[in-house]
Amino acid sequence: MMDKNINLKEFHSKLTGDKYYKVKHKSGLNIYMYEKEGYNSTYAIFGTRYGSINTCFSANDGEKITVPDGIAHYLEHKLFESEDGDAFTKYARTGANANAYTSFDKTCYLFSTSQNFQESLEILLDFVQSPYFTEETVAKEQGIIGQEIKMYDDSPDWKVLFNLLECLYHNHPVKIDIAGTVESIAKITPQMLYDCYNTFYNLNNMALCVCGKATLDEVLEVADRCLKLCEDVKITNYFEDEPYEIVKDFSEQNLPVAVPLFNMGFKSKREKTSSSKDMAALDVLLSMLFSSTSEIYKELQDKELINQSFNYEVFEGPGFFTIILGGESRNPEEVNSTIKEYIKNLKENGLSIDDYDISKRAVYGDALSALNSVDAIGNNLMESHFTNREFFSYIDEIYKLTFEDIEKKFNEVLDYNNSALSVIR
Amino acid sequence: MNSISRQEIGKGIYFNTIKDNRFKTMKLSVSIIVPLNEDDASVNALLAGVLTRSTKDYPDFTILSKKLSQLYGANLAGIVRKMGDNQVLTFSISGIDDKYAFEGDVVSQQMSELLCSVLFRPKLNGNAFCEEEINQEKRQLSDMIDSEFNDKRAYANNRFTEFMCQGEPFACSRLGTKEAVEEVTGEDLYTAWKKLLIAGNIEIFFIGESDSENAKNIFEKNFKKNRRTPFLLENSVCGEVKKLKEKREIMELSQSKMIMGFRTSVASPSEDTMAMRVAIALLGGTAHSKLFNNVREKLSLCYYCSARYTRIKGIVHIESGVEKENIEKAKDAILKEIEDMKNGNITDFEIEATKLSMCNDFITICDHTAGLESWYLSQLMDGELDSVEEACRKVNAVTKEQIMEMASKLHFDTIYTLESK
Repeated sequence: MMDKNINLKEFHSKLTGDKYYKVKHKSGLNIYMYEKEGYNSTYAIFGTRYGSINTCFSANDGEKITVPDGIAHYLEHKLFESEDGDAFTKYARTGANANAYTSFDKTCYLFSTSQNFQESLEILLDFVQSPYFTEETVAKEQGIIGQEIKMYDDSPDWKVLFNLLECLYHNHPVKIDIAGTVESIAKITPQMLYDCYNTFYNLNNMALCVCGKATLDEVLEVADRCLKLCEDVKITNYFEDEPYEIVKDFSEQNLPVAVPLFNMGFKSKREKTSSSKDMAALDVLLSMLFSSTSEIYKELQDKELINQSFNYEVFEGPGFFTIILGGESRNPEEVNSTIKEYIKNLKENGLSIDDYDISKRAVYGDALSALNSVDAIGNNLMESHFTNREFFSYIDEIYKLTFEDIEKKFNEVLDYNNSALSVIR
Repeated sequence: MNSISRQEIGKGIYFNTIKDNRFKTMKLSVSIIVPLNEDDASVNALLAGVLTRSTKDYPDFTILSKKLSQLYGANLAGIVRKMGDNQVLTFSISGIDDKYAFEGDVVSQQMSELLCSVLFRPKLNGNAFCEEEINQEKRQLSDMIDSEFNDKRAYANNRFTEFMCQGEPFACSRLGTKEAVEEVTGEDLYTAWKKLLIAGNIEIFFIGESDSENAKNIFEKNFKKNRRTPFLLENSVCGEVKKLKEKREIMELSQSKMIMGFRTSVASPSEDTMAMRVAIALLGGTAHSKLFNNVREKLSLCYYCSARYTRIKGIVHIESGVEKENIEKAKDAILKEIEDMKNGNITDFEIEATKLSMCNDFITICDHTAGLESWYLSQLMDGELDSVEEACRKVNAVTKEQIMEMASKLHFDTIYTLESK
């Protein structure tokens, strides 16, 4: 039975009828459990607030350490290997489908399974807590990661984004490829991996989010058994100052593509992490401005300047905030100037309340649909934890939004004098 | 666990209801299955776009989009797939369940009606589709065909299939060709639309908690307007190989791709397909398969190396991303893994792990609305209607001897490489 003394909180959502639990485990780990009745599978994700941008840091006010680009991703690959074999082989005994990824600000290890949940969770908690790096195993990984870097070099979607980030950011490490370069990863040593591991893979800096068929009792039973008590480490990340202004407003690269690709980015200052209300307002605003119901979408389609691949997103993390629009176009320069002109006009003349009403419904529907998927819930719980947002507050805030909230948000973002265009053709 | 109920509501038209209260959304889809061929592929693919772009009731793209947004961002889609020698056009709408709508709004019925409007009441100009709508969709489709070139893995796969299956319908692209798309007229589209309604084999799926009776009645009524003579669907299977075919293409790339194609005589509805699925998953379908462990991890030869079985055609292909100078080595290493399997060099652990992983995938996929639909649709294409539990039972009944036998039925047919300069 569950220990009565555990630090447990329950969160309910009136709008959706769903609920989840949050536990601050005695080991230091933050655990989230979102039970999904009737589901036959469970998704679990174990992550640390540590990604490709954390290349300069100190632990407990100690010495400032600078490590090579791509090390967080390298560490992710190496953690899969323990002294007693690799994690994939262990998962093979439970049938779980496992994976891991490194982003700009997170590294996450995950699995989904319909059977042997507790055994699978034990494997997950175990291997992430058991670093094992030697000269030999570190050297071996360079071949495979080198291949991965090359594969991304051939990916127009990937290159168009990083070329944009180079236009936008002077100093922020978000502009550097997550996997680093063949040269930077060659400098990685076992000691550096241990330094990063001991700083960032501290359970207090991590979260475990589980969603699906499993129950809280099942999760806690494994957690009590497998989690090693962790002293909290004070982590300081150092970033060079980033000016408000962009570096340059255009980049072009040639790669074999049939239709040219573009990304345009509007850089903003990021003073603090967006709240749930900020997120809700931004999502409704972008839907009003750029979704298939918008005036500009119709205009660009009628002029044959964009196709269905047109998309938009908020690209945000520690120290960076950009709104990115992208897609395929035979004339990206004209898309760029048309969109800038459109934003300028709206900033002068104001937004339409009719667009607001339908966009609010659409964004609400999307948020609700995301609650069908145990993977989406698990990932969003993790994101909410690392950004200090309560998971259900996003959908509540959409419901509560007013037109004035959107107008206010519009004033804060999309500075058409601070944007860049990246093209692959 | 969900259950499916299936009812014929017209000649060759089936209404499948999957009652499921777990989701926040409902989904309604209509899949129209027709033989794939060069002449019709582009017209049909274009039709999928034109029909979901506007209707008589919602006469332009923006008006239709606004209607969908008003229905809480309901998702309307017209997608085109290739399933063996057939082309499948699926028109679907999905959106939130009535109980989550603001102030007692009822959306499910509006969604069913909208999908009917898309299928049965297009925006027409006499006996032709409107020129303006067609031109916009021609451009979208032709860009979509082009964008398959941008993704080098997808591009290599398409080129490989075209080359390996030359002369079979399966060689055709699901979207047809840019040239054929250009030539389609409004009259062609009208004829194709009528033909789909009269001769297509139709599978309708309703997934959700709300009552499906209403949707069923609307479709039954609308389909009755046509006298139907459904196509007889076929799939050619060729398990023989006379001579290994080779093709090389050169491109400005940093990583090369290699695809190896094999023919087998084991294709659905053969009882052996499950044994073949297990064998191919064991070879290269999981993160602990022979190809992953030995060719990728131990030899560090490829960034990815995986095997896939197209059971409807009895074709197996193995794709890999590899350095140009390692192509020969990787090929030999892959062939050695198949030899090993034939010779019974398979551990109990490999078999158990593969079975667990396959059953896990089956069960997991059915926790998604889209997964449930594709599970049952692909079952129907195989001529079966197994539940997930039944499929898992079949997986677990496969023996080591069967796996060895399946490996010996792989006949190396084609090697395609896309090489860096």
